[in-house]
Amino acid sequence: MSHIKTLTFAFMDPPFESERTVTFFRLLDAALDANSHVKVFAYEGAAALSFAKQQQHGNAIHGRDTEQEDHPLTKTWIASLQQKARKKALSFEWINCGLCVDERGVNDTIPGCNRGGPADLWRYASESFNTLTIGTR
Amino acid sequence: MSEFLFIQSRDPFTDALTKSQYELINHLANAGNRVTVVLVQNGVMPATKSSIFTPFTKLLHENITLVADKFSLQQREIDAEQLIPEILTTDLDIVIKALLSGQKVIWN
Repeated sequence: MSHIKTLTFAFMDPPFESERTVTFFRLLDAALDANSHVKVFAYEGAAALSFAKQQQHGNAIHGRDTEQEDHPLTKTWIASLQQKARKKALSFEWINCGLCVDERGVNDTIPGCNRGGPADLWRYASESFNTLTIGTR
Repeated sequence: MSEFLFIQSRDPFTDALTKSQYELINHLANAGNRVTVVLVQNGVMPATKSSIFTPFTKLLHENITLVADKFSLQQREIDAEQLIPEILTTDLDIVIKALLSGQKVIWN
């Protein structure tokens, strides 16, 4: 039996709007650094974190083109974490709340991010050693 | 006795709810529980020597360990020397270690 523990994270903040999103991704990165399997249940605005059609853009006010601006995209951060997990032979599972996805029209996700529902959060939490829920005011 | 870790992200100067969150932390400590409070994001704002917020000062309790996230401090140009002496700096791995040791971890 594997001695590697699994942690579940439930998150509801959208990309690009809250500092919580950055802290959330830092926690996921730290969990992989600690050799933990990771499961993420993304609901409400967080269902858009893995949206495949996110695009970088320039910043005309500051005179920077797309490359110079190098705007971070959460879908890229997720892909990087998936890659990090693979290199460490850890699992990195991601489920988006299906209703939340439909509401926002963000069904087109990057590979490795799947569609589910609240029952998956229950399953994730039941299968994990511990769970952190990051709520929003 | 239980062990709790709070991730304290809110700025008490702009969010009235923070006061009651500090009170909960104090109640848990007074009941004999070991509590760690990790200050992140604007949650680090009351941790400087020059800040005046009495409910936060009450967290300087023998059963409470207060630490501030280095990244959040750096973003706000707050040096470790500016912090209240009892508050140490940390990386976020402290949260993961708490989760992996079975502590109750709560996001505020």
